[in-house]
Amino acid sequence: MAKKILTRNVEFTDQCRIAAAEKRGAYTAVRKALTMTSEALIAEVKASGLRGRGGAGFPTGMKWGFVPRNIGKPVFLLNNADESEPGTFKDRVLLERDPHLVIEGMIIAGLALGAKWSAVYIRGEYAYPAFQIQAAVKEAYAKGYLGKNIFGSGIEFNIVVHRGAGAYICGEETALIESLEGNKGQPRLKPPFPAVVGVYGSPTVVNNTETLAALPWIIENGGSAYAAIGTEKSPGTKLFSASGHLVRPGVYEIELGYSMLEFIEKDCGGIRDGRKLKAVIPGGSSVPILRAEDIANVTLDYESIRDAGSMLGSGALIAMDETTDMVDACMNLQHFYTHESCGQCTPCREGSHWVEKIIHRIADGHAVPSDLDLIRDVCRQIAGHTICPFGDAMVTPALSFIKKFPEEFEARIRTIISTSNKGGADVRSECSA
Amino acid sequence: MSEVNAQPEQVTLSIDGREISVPKGMNLIEAAKVAGIEIPHYCYHTHLSVAGNCRMCQVKVEGMPKLTIGCNTGATEGMKVSTHLTSPEVAEAQRATLEFILINHPLDCTVCDQAGHCKLQDYYYEYNRQPSRFAEEDKEHKVKALPLGPNVILDGERCILCTRCVRFCEEITETAELGVFNRGDKSVISVAEGEQLDNPLSGSVVDLCPVGALTHRNWRFNTRIWYTKPVDSVCPGCSTGCNVKISTRDEQVVHVKARLNAEVNREWLCDEGRYGFDRLVAGEQLSTPLVIKDSGEGARTTLADIAAAMQSVKAGANETAVFLSPLLTIEDLYVAEKFLLDVLKIEAGSSSVAMQYKSRQLDAVSQKLVSPDFAPNARAASLFGWAGSGENWREEMTSRYEALLGSLVAGKVKRLIMIGDAAIAPIDAERISEQVVSQLEFSLALVSGSSSDANNEEFVNGPFSSRAVIRTAQYLVPVLGVLEKQGLYLNRDQRLQRLIAPLAPRAGVRSEWQVLAELARVSGVTLLSDNVVSARDLLLHMGRSDSRFAEVTPTRVGSFGIRLASA
Repeated sequence: MAKKILTRNVEFTDQCRIAAAEKRGAYTAVRKALTMTSEALIAEVKASGLRGRGGAGFPTGMKWGFVPRNIGKPVFLLNNADESEPGTFKDRVLLERDPHLVIEGMIIAGLALGAKWSAVYIRGEYAYPAFQIQAAVKEAYAKGYLGKNIFGSGIEFNIVVHRGAGAYICGEETALIESLEGNKGQPRLKPPFPAVVGVYGSPTVVNNTETLAALPWIIENGGSAYAAIGTEKSPGTKLFSASGHLVRPGVYEIELGYSMLEFIEKDCGGIRDGRKLKAVIPGGSSVPILRAEDIANVTLDYESIRDAGSMLGSGALIAMDETTDMVDACMNLQHFYTHESCGQCTPCREGSHWVEKIIHRIADGHAVPSDLDLIRDVCRQIAGHTICPFGDAMVTPALSFIKKFPEEFEARIRTIISTSNKGGADVRSECSA
Repeated sequence: MSEVNAQPEQVTLSIDGREISVPKGMNLIEAAKVAGIEIPHYCYHTHLSVAGNCRMCQVKVEGMPKLTIGCNTGATEGMKVSTHLTSPEVAEAQRATLEFILINHPLDCTVCDQAGHCKLQDYYYEYNRQPSRFAEEDKEHKVKALPLGPNVILDGERCILCTRCVRFCEEITETAELGVFNRGDKSVISVAEGEQLDNPLSGSVVDLCPVGALTHRNWRFNTRIWYTKPVDSVCPGCSTGCNVKISTRDEQVVHVKARLNAEVNREWLCDEGRYGFDRLVAGEQLSTPLVIKDSGEGARTTLADIAAAMQSVKAGANETAVFLSPLLTIEDLYVAEKFLLDVLKIEAGSSSVAMQYKSRQLDAVSQKLVSPDFAPNARAASLFGWAGSGENWREEMTSRYEALLGSLVAGKVKRLIMIGDAAIAPIDAERISEQVVSQLEFSLALVSGSSSDANNEEFVNGPFSSRAVIRTAQYLVPVLGVLEKQGLYLNRDQRLQRLIAPLAPRAGVRSEWQVLAELARVSGVTLLSDNVVSARDLLLHMGRSDSRFAEVTPTRVGSFGIRLASA
């Protein structure tokens, strides 16, 4: 597991200073990119097969190809450093420890897209990473690597670091754009898509920090070299934020296609205190949970995890051991989504809290068997009916936890053994019209 | 907003199997209207930007994997759309949307102003009708009666966060007082600290609100809508002629709502017009003709006596002044023209005749809707030669009125006739000296009431008061007030609209045109044949005999008006 594309220099404490970073090769790739046409750059990224690392896994080269050029409007590049998916903490490593890699990746993307303006939208809670990236941007401007005449090429490229204000939804690209423009971070209707109508009505590309950080290596070594790593449909490496009941939680750079069990047991040291793995959420709380037995033959790539019934997502792997109460864990996650719903559209705004309340009742022992069907029905009316995918993300913990651990939910539901009035829940289920 | 290009390309699509042809890109809610199908919606409004947040207008479009919202989906060639009529998936989504809205919505129907004309109630009965499955201990609680400004009170719990009010203030008045605060199901509409919802069109947000979240401070709790009698009319406050629905109860105006008319006022109404119907009603109304004696007391008289007095004064056209109220209908003006010609021998378009016209200053927001005048039928003056019809019609009307008033003030008038309330502007009352009044040989006023009633300050101090007229009159004949009249108005864009009376006419009192016809009759002149009895009869007669009103019938004018053909 030697390939280090993103984290090769994060161990060095001075990597965040431009002089040290350059000694280790920073800003070499961008000088090469300056000699390439925009078409060539896009072609290289397409050839690499690089997929968006924020969670959606959309092919980056293809996304860049959607941007209409020469329509008289400036193109904006946005670095999505909102990193709010629960369990995800990989982008902060890059921003804190190797910010110049990120900056270099952004310049390369800017050259490919013909963008003059870019912003790092970083979640408000990341005070230290924001400090780091801002300091690095300042260094880059001082050296003429950013500004009106980058590297003496006559080309202009700017980076603005914009801090968010504490909303998960601002990781959704159109909500991010709204927030950047100074509005409330509420997603926009699509169509139109940001590639056509984005920041201030202009074509905009939103890429994850990790995606952008992969670009220098791809340009230096070629797209096909990147494609040769990993698997055919999931090329390259990915940063995994491993957390939970592990001996060695942390951020790991892994070649895609690696065995998930091996990752957990070898790299992360297995479950702590000699306990056993019970469940895994492979890619952040918005992807379905899997039981330990489900992941026996699963590899860390988009296809394998999808075939197992979940998603690679942001690569935030959360491992839970046998002491975990799945109902409590589900409630914890549901509360997060209720708290983060932007409130714009009816199903998510009202439905999120409703689902949370039902799960709360289950946890407290005041639920009835039909409540599980109710959760499923309510979730079914939220998913696919909202302005943005938050609604689909929000129903995933509730639905997947109940699907995978029905025994735990059913055990918490009180069985009605008499007709005496034991509280509202009992009477209701008896007299529903 | 729907924009119409010079040459819209038409596309054919089918909605629930009905084939229709509409401009390409027309949103599906509007397209469905063409097909005669209602797609329910809350946040969508024809004249506001698309928000797409209520999710009520979801439809199924063949080829799209998920349901899509009709308000944000444009018609394309060959599109196949299914609404709740043919798609169970859509019907279920609509049922669910209502269930979601209702879980935190308070059971306020018994005390909510909106009951009976509430889109939540209506859609629930139409698209849901199921008991709610929300069985939790508590729901979200929000502020219950927050005054947002001088005219509007908010109930945060009833609000469904469609943001129509927010978008109205952002896009129409461009004052942006309102916003959505907090997030998730704690979201609530409010104003920022120290701000107020106080723009001149603020009451319009209450019209826009589909539920009872926004209420009129003036009318909160005053009546249930089903006890009221509604009338589709126009506001007589200015020459815009906003389309309104006036609701009365016990002969009092208790509610005014804007009607949607894309050509006139979209769905907006100014606060002065909406809440100002009291200005139009004289507190103490006249019931019989009066002659004012030297002592100042009024004594009963008859039209015959008045006619005799009028004939006894020898005065030519240049010693006569005829002032016309801006509230007169086209029917009134038509008969007035005949009266002046046939009875007083004053020729058409004479400078002895002027319609009262005062311009007013308007702030930037008011200018978006309100006209700079107090004259709902000002443009009709040009049909009778009492004003020009070109671009400078306002200036011409002002100078014509001021000129005639000037000659009255200078004592050059012997015979004065004032037809209708505020025929002379109340603000000009002090310009007419006692001496001028005493030197008039004949002074007749057709007014709805006396201005001495202190109970109706709005009327006495407002722009439609007859205090200048009454002060100058020797003879007073009662006529219907503007809220008791029926007829046509020509608005600033030369659109004919129907004025329909929300109040029942007082017994024995008639419109100006009927009084003038009677006055002519007792003077020995027949203006109209015996079979012209009602305003409708008169209009039909006008349409048949006068080319200016060719093709004008009440039905053609309808509830939304038509542009005058000869304009």
